[in-house]
Amino acid sequence: MTNLLFAVLLLLHMLPVYSSDTGNLFIATDRIVTHGHSEGVSGHDHIWHREMDFIRYLIGRGDYRESLFLLERVVPENNHQNDSLNYLTGWVYYQQKTLDLSARHLLQVSKESPVYHKSRFFAAYSLAHDGDAGRAGEVLELTDSGTDNLYHALQRLQLGGISLLERDYKRYRSHAADFSGNHHVTAAEEQRMEHHYAQLRDRRTASPFIAGMLSAAVPGLGKIYAGKSAEGVAGFLYVAALGLTAFDFYRGSGPDSVLFVLSASAAGAFYVGNIVGSVAAARRANQEFNYEMDQRILFDMHIPLRNAF
Amino acid sequence: MKWTNGFCLICIFLCGTLSEGVNAQTEKLMKRADSLFDSGNYFEASIAYERVYFVAEVPLARITANLKKTQALKQLGEYEKAHGDLRRSLTYRGEDSLRLEVLYEMAICAYLGGDPDDAYGLLRQFRHLSGEGSGQRVYLLEGLALAELMQWDALSDHLENWVLNFSDDTGLADEKLQRFAEILTEKDQQARRDPEKARLWSALIPGSGQVYAGEAGWGLLNAFSQLASLGAFSAMALNGYYVAAVFAGLGPFQSFYFGGIRQAGLMAEAHEKSRREKTLAAVREFLFNLEEELGAE
Repeated sequence: MTNLLFAVLLLLHMLPVYSSDTGNLFIATDRIVTHGHSEGVSGHDHIWHREMDFIRYLIGRGDYRESLFLLERVVPENNHQNDSLNYLTGWVYYQQKTLDLSARHLLQVSKESPVYHKSRFFAAYSLAHDGDAGRAGEVLELTDSGTDNLYHALQRLQLGGISLLERDYKRYRSHAADFSGNHHVTAAEEQRMEHHYAQLRDRRTASPFIAGMLSAAVPGLGKIYAGKSAEGVAGFLYVAALGLTAFDFYRGSGPDSVLFVLSASAAGAFYVGNIVGSVAAARRANQEFNYEMDQRILFDMHIPLRNAF
Repeated sequence: MKWTNGFCLICIFLCGTLSEGVNAQTEKLMKRADSLFDSGNYFEASIAYERVYFVAEVPLARITANLKKTQALKQLGEYEKAHGDLRRSLTYRGEDSLRLEVLYEMAICAYLGGDPDDAYGLLRQFRHLSGEGSGQRVYLLEGLALAELMQWDALSDHLENWVLNFSDDTGLADEKLQRFAEILTEKDQQARRDPEKARLWSALIPGSGQVYAGEAGWGLLNAFSQLASLGAFSAMALNGYYVAAVFAGLGPFQSFYFGGIRQAGLMAEAHEKSRREKTLAAVREFLFNLEEELGAE
């Protein structure tokens, strides 16, 4: 019996124990390939999983540059591995806020992958955040949310948000019609999305033409109309001060005086500049409002995604 | 019973063999990382050391990998990251020398990363653990941290301890302290320019704050601008252009006056910053020379 035991022990000792000696996984400067190795497919799988574990560990630590360095050197051997590679690469780019590259990789994750839905939603969000709301909408429309209520609710919310980003209120209403408010992940954001919609719909857009005309009538008034009250008052004071100075010189020295010509020219330049500034202020006010609304919409698209996945 | 014993034996044998395999793997990875480091490929070396840390099961291997990774990160100038990574090894309860090495490396990374306060705190911990057995490099780093913190009195005491610990020459401490005091007198006290004083001077006499801060040209320009605007104000007021005098004379004058005060303060601050840098550079040079001198003894 003892002999038998020793025989078993000897046999086990002779079995190859897997170590890095059998693979070239850790050659960081080379690409990870195991073709032609005696380990066969299972050996590659083992190496693959270990490498992915290490990369996930690096991602968890926030070592994104290092993770990308390793991900670029991995060669997948099947679709499953390809999906993992694309998902992780996309996710790292997403964490680095390189959203165009993130979307590109996430969109390559196949439907069979368990992270398919997460990849699609985050790819669409990345595209929307990057200013390509149209493409983001297409991605989501083509995403099969299946029978899962959560995915369905998320899809409606994201599509609603994208419609608002495009200021397509009719399409927003069609998506918002499906807002149920029943799913805890999206309920609060659905309400806020309705609020954003109301704000966008009811917003009075500042007209650059009216702003210019108002400032022509009373310097600074156009800026006040555009919502830039402090700028308007300051503009008025500058033009008024220069105008009064010019009048003072006119009163004392007449219209041919050099001092009058200089001060009147300065007052005229400030007057015209104030009109131009008011037109720009109206445009700027509209841009600022749109930017702020876009950020709010994107925020309310993002939170449910982070909560769901 | 025999079978149970046999099973246990097999398990023990397997554990031993697998553990040996992991150790061999760790060793191989470490060699690979070392060769990357030696070839100057610090980024890849840092990843390779992190891999050793990830794979290794023995605390000693992990702390060694962490310390070596620190060297790679230091070469890359990533001091904050190295400091954060070393924090993982603070809980190590093995060899004291390794714990001390972790503390020292954390301190040097904190110092290089621009946090001398943290560096000084870590060196205090180092001293607490090591007792009197601190090497020259610890004294040097502590001196540098104190200099950065402008703690001149503490640095003076520190210098005395340093010299007395590493030299038998009793007069050397006094000599070095005297030299240190001279450096401070030369660099620190002679050309001090107080921003508050500069602002006050400019408020009382236009342009004088800039002259006090060492920028006579700017002082003259500011004084001339103020005089010119006041002259314009007076000329316009005397000729009956009262409204124009206020807007075209007093308006620019107040801008030049208050702007001049602000400018004088900023110039004095810049001067102080430059003076501080010069003082620090001189003290640093003194500390490095001292280390070299004491090391040669």
